[in-house]
Amino acid sequence: MSTAPQTDELALDVRDLRRTFKDVVAVDGVTMTVPRGEVFGLVGPDGAGKSTLIRMMATVLAPTDGDVLVFGRSVRTEAAKVKPRIGYMSQAFSLYRDLTVRENLEFFAELRGVPRKDMAARSARLLEFSGLTEFAKRQAQFLSGGMKQKLALAATLISEPDLLFLDEPTTGVDPVSRREFWRIISGLHSEGITVFVATPYMDEAERCDEIAFMTHGRIILRDTPAGMKNRVPGRVVEINASDYRAAMPIVRALPFVSSVEVSGEYLRVLVTRDDATAETGLRTALEAAGLRVDRVRPVATDLEMAFATLIPTAVLPHHDTTDEILAVAE
Amino acid sequence: MSWRRVRLLIWKEFLQLRRDRSMLPIIFIMPVLQLILFGYVIGTDVKDLRTAVVDRDGSVESRLVVDSFVNSGYFLDVAHPVDEAAMQKLLDGNKAQVAIIIPEGFSDLVREKRPTEIGIVVDGSDSKTASVASGYAQQVVAALSGKLYPGRLTASSSGVDAQVRVLFNPTMRAVNTMVPALLAFILMMSTQTTMSQAIVKERERGTLEQLFVTPIGRAEYLIGKLVPYVLIAFIQITLVFTIGTLWFKVPFNGNLLVLGAGLALFALTALGLGLMVSLLSRTRYQAQQATTFLMVPSMMLSGFVFPLESMPKILYPLSYLVPLRYILVVVRSNFLKGSGFVALWPQFLAMAIFSAAIFGFGLSRFRKQLND
Repeated sequence: MSTAPQTDELALDVRDLRRTFKDVVAVDGVTMTVPRGEVFGLVGPDGAGKSTLIRMMATVLAPTDGDVLVFGRSVRTEAAKVKPRIGYMSQAFSLYRDLTVRENLEFFAELRGVPRKDMAARSARLLEFSGLTEFAKRQAQFLSGGMKQKLALAATLISEPDLLFLDEPTTGVDPVSRREFWRIISGLHSEGITVFVATPYMDEAERCDEIAFMTHGRIILRDTPAGMKNRVPGRVVEINASDYRAAMPIVRALPFVSSVEVSGEYLRVLVTRDDATAETGLRTALEAAGLRVDRVRPVATDLEMAFATLIPTAVLPHHDTTDEILAVAE
Repeated sequence: MSWRRVRLLIWKEFLQLRRDRSMLPIIFIMPVLQLILFGYVIGTDVKDLRTAVVDRDGSVESRLVVDSFVNSGYFLDVAHPVDEAAMQKLLDGNKAQVAIIIPEGFSDLVREKRPTEIGIVVDGSDSKTASVASGYAQQVVAALSGKLYPGRLTASSSGVDAQVRVLFNPTMRAVNTMVPALLAFILMMSTQTTMSQAIVKERERGTLEQLFVTPIGRAEYLIGKLVPYVLIAFIQITLVFTIGTLWFKVPFNGNLLVLGAGLALFALTALGLGLMVSLLSRTRYQAQQATTFLMVPSMMLSGFVFPLESMPKILYPLSYLVPLRYILVVVRSNFLKGSGFVALWPQFLAMAIFSAAIFGFGLSRFRKQLND
């Protein structure tokens, strides 16, 4: 951002926010802003404090210290003014399992004071939008994981909030539903709704306007996905060798290699040389050690690689996102 | 306070209740079943006690003794063992619960108007039957001695006692005190258990958190939760009242206003306790355990099952801490004696203090809980 945004342009203004549970510090002084209309991603390992941060921003949990201004209103002193403008989808399914899809929608619409005359049109539109029209009379507990999440999203959208908090909305959801879910989020984005989403998946983080990386209760990095990748010193080369375990120490010992990651059957190597001498150097070193090298090729830096180099290894989130998706698909 | 939101919550609660196939039968069958169990099993009078007679005298007078026992309706002449050893066997085998021993020379002493005695043995393995049986036996003997020794006052102490029974429970039917007590007990069971589950269930399922993002207020939420369960509880006790008076023929000498006011006040204490359990528990299982934990001392220390008078002196003061104790006095004396507010004001006051304290505490906890 070139200039400091005005307060009314900010969806979120988090000021030195803290939360402790007994002697555990879950959120340890977070200060950040999120401009209106952005899709903002929050990534970080389990236990980083992502859910606690979101719950405080969504007025569900009281901060121990600090404050959050949502469209300029404090969650501590003006929660009643914040609530009508936000929607919050918690990590676990939190609608009434024994009510039907339509009953859940109508319940939350009434509760949030949606005018009766708008109700039918809105719920019809949301049911259509989330592909749940034909399941309107089904009890929520009998929906699939993906449908449940879409229902939860629809229920938070029925009051037409300006800011949406989504806490790992696609965890445990099949890849097709995940894609659909993000199609819906893109739709919201184009309507000007601000979305704050916590996700463990790097491919989802890629779709955000900006990302913050959280660990041990703090935000330690914040940038656009492209900016994150540009921060990586050097470029990434992928190696397909006959024995990647044996290859690891050899590659690591080379002077122009700054880090090595295993990704499936491949080695992903961060090199500091810009020209092709890096690729030749890698191939020569491995073949000299008696390993068969099938392929050495430059690849685009992705977020996973970016975080792997920018953040100490110990605090990395999910490494094998791709494997997980495949596992779910099976 | 928005009545639209309160109504919505009540509607939602009833909708969920209707969906829960196991809940509806429980709501209506449980009170009826309890009434039948308590009414017939615990509350039934001891009758037809199997009695063995060892008649060593074999005279007109000794037969008069046996007849007096049998004619009282409580004793059933089942055996005539030859000696005390044979009698002992009958008692050991539970073939007889009571034995009457008429000593040799009994009739001679009676005719000479000299004091005499008959032996009565009661099987003490069932303490309730034993105490009832010995009470009956004493009454029979007292009546008998009046007949055998006319003009001589017997040292019977049952006179006053008997009068009390004639006044309020002439037939000495235990069910007459049990049914009114059950009104209070079922009200407590029903409201306390459902209320204790109500909030912790929403917390466990995450729906409570979702509600917090809506404009709903604490008071609205609480009223929305209380009303359905209070309605159900009052339907339940109406059911108990109806079956109790029509089927068990418990006479209702009281006033519905006094009874209703007492029960409503008592319901507040039970709801408050349930609310507290629900707020302090993290899981439904915990809430269930806590409710059971609270229920047992209530049953023991209130005079519901065991008379307060039979309680050890050290424990007696504890009974003042049990709200059920006060409502039991209210329902029983209103039901049987027609006692009104004038006589029962100390009990009403105690319950008012209890409900204010418990509910106040519950509400203050609820306030804090929103931010935890």
